[in-house]
Amino acid sequence: MKPGDRELFIEQVREHHAGLRGFVRSLGVDPLWVDDVAQEAFIVAYNRLDEFDHSRDFGPWLRGIARNLVINERRKDARRKRILSDNLTEVLIASSSAGEEEEEMGDFALVRLNALKECIKELPEKSLRLLKSRYEDDHSAQDIAEEFSMNPPAVRKALERMRAALRVCMEEKMAITAVT
Amino acid sequence: MKHEASDSELLQRLLHGEPGVGDLSALAARAEEDADLARVIADELAFSGFLREALRGESGDEEHTFSADLLSAGRPLEDLLDRVREGVATPYECDQVVKHLWETPGAGRRLRRDLAMEEFFHEALADSKSEVAFIQSLETRMWAETRDDHFVDDFAKRLERELTPVSAATDEEKVVAFPGAWRRTFLQMGAVAAALALGSFFGVKMMMHHFSVEPVLALIVKTSSGVIWSGNTAPGEDGTIKSGLYHLRSGVVSMRMSSGGELTVEGPAIFEVGDDASTFVHEGIALARVSSTDLGISLKSKGLNISEAARLIGIDARSEAATEAIVFGGDGGVCLSEGGKCRELSEFEAVKVDHLRERLVDVPYNPRAFSKAWALLSGVEDNLGSVRIEMPGTEISSHRGEEGEVQVYVENASFRPAHDLEVDQVVVGEFSVAEANPGQHLQANGELRSYLLQLWPGGEDEAGGTETSLTFDHPVVGVIYSSDRLMSSDSSVGSPISQAGDGGNGHRGMDSGNDEILLSQDRHTLNLRFKGGGARAEQVRVLVALN
Repeated sequence: MKPGDRELFIEQVREHHAGLRGFVRSLGVDPLWVDDVAQEAFIVAYNRLDEFDHSRDFGPWLRGIARNLVINERRKDARRKRILSDNLTEVLIASSSAGEEEEEMGDFALVRLNALKECIKELPEKSLRLLKSRYEDDHSAQDIAEEFSMNPPAVRKALERMRAALRVCMEEKMAITAVT
Repeated sequence: MKHEASDSELLQRLLHGEPGVGDLSALAARAEEDADLARVIADELAFSGFLREALRGESGDEEHTFSADLLSAGRPLEDLLDRVREGVATPYECDQVVKHLWETPGAGRRLRRDLAMEEFFHEALADSKSEVAFIQSLETRMWAETRDDHFVDDFAKRLERELTPVSAATDEEKVVAFPGAWRRTFLQMGAVAAALALGSFFGVKMMMHHFSVEPVLALIVKTSSGVIWSGNTAPGEDGTIKSGLYHLRSGVVSMRMSSGGELTVEGPAIFEVGDDASTFVHEGIALARVSSTDLGISLKSKGLNISEAARLIGIDARSEAATEAIVFGGDGGVCLSEGGKCRELSEFEAVKVDHLRERLVDVPYNPRAFSKAWALLSGVEDNLGSVRIEMPGTEISSHRGEEGEVQVYVENASFRPAHDLEVDQVVVGEFSVAEANPGQHLQANGELRSYLLQLWPGGEDEAGGTETSLTFDHPVVGVIYSSDRLMSSDSSVGSPISQAGDGGNGHRGMDSGNDEILLSQDRHTLNLRFKGGGARAEQVRVLVALN
């Protein structure tokens, strides 16, 4: 391992963990196993730091490792798989490309995440409760419907609207950040 | 003459899967005319179904999946996409989504973006998905996979520093300053005297209980610096703990429980002491030590009960998503609070209760989270120099250590030597050169603890020397610094070195004639000035009397 490699790794963990998890999830990995796969990618990267070409970006290299881990999931027997479905992962991998990954979920993920957190703070109380029930407590739309005395399609619609609004808010905040 | 089968024979053939030609139609015809027979057949078939269900085990998933597929056959595409986003879609539902993705240009990319967004929402909202939780978990895995690599420790420490918010104390917080001499006085009490004092203390307090005074259930026996309590309940100024909910904002405290055992809690932590002296750790880090004379300790946390206390067992309840139990010494047991599933744990094994899935999951042994609590519980304090108190289970290796660093290993927390031990002669109260000496016998009576100090050369002064000073909770009764005595005492003190066979071939001790040693008059503090004998580390064994 070259001098400075370890320092680089520490920086990269902080820089890329959020984006890497988004990337891993986008390849159809079961939400319960996303962190596990992302951590495995970091460990493989750490063990192979000698192979990393310093003239290139760390993010794409890390995502390449993660992508291979996800591809290997398809070869595992059903009980050990960490993906939702072989076919889904196959089509999602086929629809990804290096440029898009950088733009969508790669190197600016931390900024996007912070912007999103800011937007969430601005939500009305009921919306926030709904969102927390889904993402913090991990309740399904069906469970949330019972909790909020709504019907499941209404919950899905509300969540969909909220997601769309938050995405717009996040992009706007990122644009402001970029300008300032 | 052909024998006509009875109702019972026909039914048995059916139940055994051996119906002959015409048996089923014959049985059906008879059942049509005989309601009782029909009921018996129905009961028996239903019971057969139960038996199949009970025996099917995990293959029952197939039936579940099939039912789920039937349910999802009529779902609109948007629902299916939602289910993929929620992570609950079955393979059949995923296949329907795949069909849509193949047919619709750009749909794959949109779904990938949505999935990534879902992940961001979780990261933004759920504590279990926070940066801290992710990095702590990564650190655990890295520690387990690269445990000889110092970098992982440094990495973890640095991230911890960067991620831990610094907060100022609020008005409601109480800085509990124990009476000046109290702590030292208590620590310097002989073990027997301390036990007597504790016994009579609890005795008096229990007596008070008979006169309707709220009983004392634990007594703080040791604290680190910077102890801050918040909330409405705090220990008494004499260190007494009564029933209630305690918020330890910062610092580490060790308590002797009236029910037996010693509990060390590291802040920030919230723990509750019950009327029966049981403890529930709501948040934070706790380390329980039970000696051979203790009856045990009653300890619970979110989602788990310690069903059988090991000699030393830790609970990490810092995460919302999971609670970890880890055994540092002896054998123990852990049960889920809900459902009662239990798991036996051996030394250096760890298990996690996943609150979301309500199950016990094996995790790698990583004691690092307990380092502050362990530093207090180990019974040794560093006063001077660069000192690292190694966690239980850390291999005593002659290939690690930094320049001028002193590593302290608790080799054996408690043992009774089978025969007298030969130790080196040390002059009490003044520095003397550590060199070859006739030695002396330490009689084999009483319970001892053995520490191994590993001193790395390359110190800070001009001559390349280092000075260190360590204070032990219990009086030092023997010091071994010569190589041959270290070697010959390895197995007598039960050092892990004797099991690993890595005692270092040849020179181990601090007997080069360049080093000096001082044991204080009260036999609690050991000062060492060492230059080392070249590139190798030097070792010193310290034996303290526990009673």
